[in-house]
Amino acid sequence: MKNKLKNFNFFLFGSMLALIAIGTVAIYSAGHARSEMIFHGMWINNLSTAIFGLILYFMIAMTNYRKILDFFSVPGYVLAIVLLIAVLIFGSTVYGGKRWLWFFQPSEISKLFIIMALSWMLGSDFFKKRGFVLFLICAAVVGVPSLLILAEPDLGTTLTLVPATLLMMLVGRVWRRGLVVIFTIGAISSAAILGAVYEAEKPDCPSQRREQIMKYVPLRPHQIKRVKVFLFPDEDTLGAGYNLRQAKISIGSGGYSGKGIGKGEANHLKYLPQAISMNDFIFCVYAEETGFVGSIVLLMLFGALLLPGAWIAYQSKDATGRLLSLGISTLIFAHVYINIAMSIGLVPITGLPLPFISSGRTFLLTIMLGLGLVQSVSIHREERI
Amino acid sequence: MKNEVSIVSDLSCWASAAIYLMGLVVLAVNLKEVQVEDAASYNYASARQSIRRVETDGLRGKIVDRHGRDLATNRKSLSIVLNAAQFQKNSWRATTDEIEKEIERVAKCIGQESPLTRKSIERHVSQTLAMPLVVWRDIGEEELARFSEHDREFPGFKCEETDERVYPYGSVGSHVIGYVGRDRGESEAGDEKFNFHQLEMRGRSGLEIYYDSYLRGVSGERKVLVDARGFAIKDWVVVESKAGPDLKTTLDIDIQKAVEKELKGLVGACVVIDPRDGSVLALASAPSYNPNDFVPILSKELYAKYSKDPKKPLLNRASGGAYAPGSTFKTVTALAGLSIGYPQKRTYECTGVFKLGGLSLHCARRWGHGDMDMRHALRESCNPYFCNLGYEIGTNAIIRAAKTMGLGSKTGIDFGVDIAGVVPDAEWKEAVYHEKWFPGDVTQMAIGQGMLLVSPLQMARIAGAIGTGYLVTPRLKADIPTRKQKLPFAEWQLRVVRDGMEMVVDGGTGKKAKLSSVKVAGKTGTAEIGRGATKRKNTWFIAYAPADDPVIAVAMVIENGDSGGGTTAPKVRNVLASIFGDDNEE
Repeated sequence: MKNKLKNFNFFLFGSMLALIAIGTVAIYSAGHARSEMIFHGMWINNLSTAIFGLILYFMIAMTNYRKILDFFSVPGYVLAIVLLIAVLIFGSTVYGGKRWLWFFQPSEISKLFIIMALSWMLGSDFFKKRGFVLFLICAAVVGVPSLLILAEPDLGTTLTLVPATLLMMLVGRVWRRGLVVIFTIGAISSAAILGAVYEAEKPDCPSQRREQIMKYVPLRPHQIKRVKVFLFPDEDTLGAGYNLRQAKISIGSGGYSGKGIGKGEANHLKYLPQAISMNDFIFCVYAEETGFVGSIVLLMLFGALLLPGAWIAYQSKDATGRLLSLGISTLIFAHVYINIAMSIGLVPITGLPLPFISSGRTFLLTIMLGLGLVQSVSIHREERI
Repeated sequence: MKNEVSIVSDLSCWASAAIYLMGLVVLAVNLKEVQVEDAASYNYASARQSIRRVETDGLRGKIVDRHGRDLATNRKSLSIVLNAAQFQKNSWRATTDEIEKEIERVAKCIGQESPLTRKSIERHVSQTLAMPLVVWRDIGEEELARFSEHDREFPGFKCEETDERVYPYGSVGSHVIGYVGRDRGESEAGDEKFNFHQLEMRGRSGLEIYYDSYLRGVSGERKVLVDARGFAIKDWVVVESKAGPDLKTTLDIDIQKAVEKELKGLVGACVVIDPRDGSVLALASAPSYNPNDFVPILSKELYAKYSKDPKKPLLNRASGGAYAPGSTFKTVTALAGLSIGYPQKRTYECTGVFKLGGLSLHCARRWGHGDMDMRHALRESCNPYFCNLGYEIGTNAIIRAAKTMGLGSKTGIDFGVDIAGVVPDAEWKEAVYHEKWFPGDVTQMAIGQGMLLVSPLQMARIAGAIGTGYLVTPRLKADIPTRKQKLPFAEWQLRVVRDGMEMVVDGGTGKKAKLSSVKVAGKTGTAEIGRGATKRKNTWFIAYAPADDPVIAVAMVIENGDSGGGTTAPKVRNVLASIFGDDNEE
């Protein structure tokens, strides 16, 4: 036990606690702006979930991650697939997506299981040859659940999986040359799609030409709308661009030091879209009330969470530990970056939660379990099975 | 162990850390731009969408007469208003339903039906949601008591004190004082500066509209914080409004009353001015209306009553009625003749009819007056004399004199209703009737018939001008400086007409206007309009008094009278008697 405490990473743990505290306050403020009483107590749900999560966190952290991976990787992955199929059949529809099974969202938990499975695979001695075949296997392991999640549809979750798993394959030396090519192709085609939409939606583009271009753009209408808002944020600010405009107004009007906790006007006067102010847009609520100072504090706390993740990977002596730490850290990073960036128009709007700050029990538990694993990597870095 | 570590290199860990750090720095830099550099513009955008600016009126100034008596003032009034934010539901329709239902509940409690229609509630919800909705305006004590007793059961409703306009003298002076009105919707849609104008009252007629901005004073500003759907969350005063100043007028409510007493039951108008400075002492038109009927809003029944009345009670005949002046115009014709050298002593033999070509104009005295000079012609109002005078001096001389006396142009009074009338000439006749100017036209004009049109206000001014030698610009606001113009006639020329007018009252056609206390000078007029069955007579009397040093000038016209001397002169006499005091009042 003494040995375990010695290697316990207090930065990773402390920043998590601080983020949970901030999240609870933000959820309190966002929830009280809503007229439905049920949301006023949402912060209690969040807090109780966090306490439950802390218990699991310590249980996992104190257990050797290698044991956990050996034991749970395969059954966990299979369970994830089963749940993802179940949600497509039995799930309840909320805001046009089938994401809920009973009381939780399988897509959030599946992210953790995918990363666990990938770390276990790439860290084991079984796959010595790191060539195209392994790449295909990895692609299948990530791809099958990803497609199931996309079918819900939940683009945001899939999007955050891409950087995490891509990075894991890259640092795990899986067919690196091919990965670079695929990454390059991906980047170029994204740029091409952006360019095409820009060309087609320019105000002086004739409608015939627009239709011609749009035939080749592989996006759904609502996605094209979001890309349009991203490219032309000042157009249609009462229609499609309303959410982004209001997000920016609330963040920007927070100014340097904010309007004070519980005093955010955009939030309390319901200018921020109410349906997502507690989830995808909670950063706007927080930034309006705490200002630039609060934003920087939040970013520093995320830094204090992510950099220890990389540090723990560095300290870890085996590939599994490194892959696990980097995979989970990158997943959190992707969430943080995309969520905040979309709120200020740096990337197109995508529905995904901000770790610890957004209300959402499944995702909170998922990342706490993930960070428990990272803590376990830190604690058990010198042990072997 | 070494082998495994080599799979995931140390560099991978550092590179990942670098990516995290870079990402967070990119976010920090962009957040600084949004939250620090552009904060002001986002703050402005935030305020613009969530704050409504409302212009509020100060207490409207009173209108008082020359002795400070209130002609228009304010009284406290209680209204029941509601804030729609209390009744918001998920859809606008459901919100409107809820408001309607709640109003119904309050209606049952206070025992008064709601004056609002579904449509007006819908309009409030769609347009003026940020403002309170006035449901019951000006409620009585009984309703107030019932509402106060149960007001806890009606969240969202409250009692509000407002000021209502009141006219203590009722219909007396209604045409000159005017009235205020207000839109049913309480608040008007705004302009660039304000989102709403919460105006208590707006002048709609008379002095109330002419001096509307003066009486309204300096408006204040209130701000209302609204949520995303437009419901008012809270409001606060930014700039206090200032009460408007009182409007002191030249009117004398006693004279106004005396005038309206004479006009009662008739159709006509009367103007009394002080010819020394142009002060309008009374400006009356009959029939009149009660301006209190218009406050806060005119009911449908009263509107129908006023608008369908063939006598047109809303019409201001005193300064807006165009009448043929009849024989009162002979004073102007006389001055026209004198001014171009027509000898005042030259006589003309009146045989009872004046013939010119196929036209024959009769004198009031069928058998004729015999030889007449100018003074006596005025005294007897002899038509042939003036027809001949007009024929001899020609059209241009008469037109010039008429324009000199202010006819054919607005009087310049500080009042909205101020007609110019018509002084016809050859061009005008050609343009309007497509006919040539005949010699008969000038003989007609010489006796104030034909196409000549004047307002009673213009004639009062002429009466005063003859008495004082100065044509004044009439005025209603007390502190406007006097404007007057010396008439371009020699003193002896004016003397001739004054003598004639004094003789009119002293045994002439207007002897019924004679007073024992002061010497009155006047001129009768009986203008015939229409022909055959529709033939009617508008009877005039213009006067000034005291004849030697005039302080009062009057013009009165009665529609469908018998004659100027018989119908109107005694009424003017009574008005003058009330001003100067006379023991043998009729």
